Amino acid sequence: IKLISDAGYQGEITSISTAAQQIEVFSRVLKTSISGFLQNTEDWQGTVEECSKMVCHGQHTYVYSQVLLQVLSQEARGGFNMKRLSQEITRCAQQNHHDVTPITMALNGAAGYPQACQALTSMLSRNALNPADITVLFRNYSAADPPPIDLIRTPQFLELLVDSLFKPGVKLNPEHKPKYIYLLAYAASVCETAARKGQTRKTVNKEELKPTIQAIEKVHDICNINKGSTELIAELSILYQCIRFPVVSVGVIRWVESTVTEPSYFKLCTEQTPIHLALLDEVVTCHLLLHSKVLQLLIQLFESKQDELEILVQLEMKKMLLDRMVNILSRGCVVPVVKYIKQCWQQGDTDISLIRYFVTEVLEAIAPPYTPEFVNLFLPLVENEEITGTMRGDGENDPVSEFIVHCKAHFAAL
Amino acid sequence: MANVRDSDTSLWLHNKLGVSNDSWTGGSICSQLNGEVLRNIKDCFPDLQTQVKLKLLLSFFHIPRRNVEEWCVELEEILEVAQVDSEQWVSMLAEIMKTFPSTGSLNTEIGSIDENRRIFSDLVNDLRKLVKKQNDLGMLPLECHYLNKSALVSVVGQQPAPTKHFTLKRKPKSAALRAELLQKSADAQNNLKKS
Repeated sequence: IKLISDAGYQGEITSISTAAQQIEVFSRVLKTSISGFLQNTEDWQGTVEECSKMVCHGQHTYVYSQVLLQVLSQEARGGFNMKRLSQEITRCAQQNHHDVTPITMALNGAAGYPQACQALTSMLSRNALNPADITVLFRNYSAADPPPIDLIRTPQFLELLVDSLFKPGVKLNPEHKPKYIYLLAYAASVCETAARKGQTRKTVNKEELKPTIQAIEKVHDICNINKGSTELIAELSILYQCIRFPVVSVGVIRWVESTVTEPSYFKLCTEQTPIHLALLDEVVTCHLLLHSKVLQLLIQLFESKQDELEILVQLEMKKMLLDRMVNILSRGCVVPVVKYIKQCWQQGDTDISLIRYFVTEVLEAIAPPYTPEFVNLFLPLVENEEITGTMRGDGENDPVSEFIVHCKAHFAAL
Repeated sequence: MANVRDSDTSLWLHNKLGVSNDSWTGGSICSQLNGEVLRNIKDCFPDLQTQVKLKLLLSFFHIPRRNVEEWCVELEEILEVAQVDSEQWVSMLAEIMKTFPSTGSLNTEIGSIDENRRIFSDLVNDLRKLVKKQNDLGMLPLECHYLNKSALVSVVGQQPAPTKHFTLKRKPKSAALRAELLQKSADAQNNLKKS
């Protein structure tokens, strides 16, 4: 195996357990895998999965690889890509029921802050929050010289906080609730600047802490009580205002997700567009970074079985979901949306009228100039006779023909 | 366990840690560790199987912090023996963990053992070049979803705007829906005030 590796054929070593026996071979295979992640933007989930599998092969390979990623993530240019990879791998290890919390905490600098470290370790290991540890963290982070903010920016911890504040049905002790809110708002809003040379203390800017706390409080109060849509509609302007805070938006997505995936939600829903889904439009408008999260939820709904609804009602619901997808697309999340619809068409399990509806809506919203990438993805849908045959007129004045003519004229190679 | 001989310690470790090929380890041996046992382990360490050596070191992560502090010297001595182990994985893991008993953190400056330094720095240097080159990959850390604008910029700097794939000539339907809902909301609030 070492000889194959020495000769440069890392790709040939397909068995991880063979590669992991020797550290040099493992290092080379790991290098190939991380390079793959860095160069493959098309299918990053695939490369992350492959890389995680290798890293999580054993606990020693995990520790070694995470130390490597920790070193690389310190790189000023591009380092945060490595931090993300490290987080994805951590998540994968946890999904495989490995308790990696002590390793994470030994790498994130928490050890210098024993109280905070212990409180976090205990909650992350159990994957559950508790008032005693939250109180310790709250005390630490409201003190004059708080621990580094990175500790509470651990994704798992933030997810737990959002779950406990926004998931319907979770009841927090009112005495402790403000501490949960404080910690979440602190993590989301405080800017920490590293100590400059000659200064010992870092600067902590808490300017946005208070408004962030208030926004979380308001929306938590709305989400926590199971309100009907008439009551919700009265709160709409408050919701719209608070959604501008990314952390509130993450919470709203969580809340909407739990609410609309209830089996009877769409059966009981009377509006054409349920208010919960209209809120997602607002999230999408305000936050580029949350596009993929929202799209994921829409796809989940689009593919969900709604057997209790009549066929025509099911189609209407899916059209309503397509309207949401067209909205994300118009706000900049273009490639993932078109790719998904294209995939639906190619798999042949989606009613063709829905694909047609999507194409029509998009064509009515867009105008040139187009990028080659977009044309490459979208043109095959527009050209397809089955999808757009009935939409074309006699001349070239309909949107379908116009789009095709434009693309042929400007993208000769396609 | 306090008065056992080396061979018993190594047999015990073998039975506890050497039976499966999986190197993921829980803390099952931690409750039976103490200063005496750790000193025995140090003595028999070189003769253990590689798998057992690795799992033993990894089990240190599961020792409660106050015990780690109490047994700091013993743990460090084992790690010292392990660093000069002929099996490279053991040596590397031990060098990574050498600061763990005293500071609670892992050592990321691999360099005191020549072979470890060569392997690690080769890997880091090659990948560092790639990381710099591909810095616009846009894979932001997961916590970024939560951050207010200014906090986000302080963490990852200004992010490039997404590619503009087309011009928007008409607002999507959701814009009209938003206006309609806000109107309804205002009406609902007025009704609430009246009632």
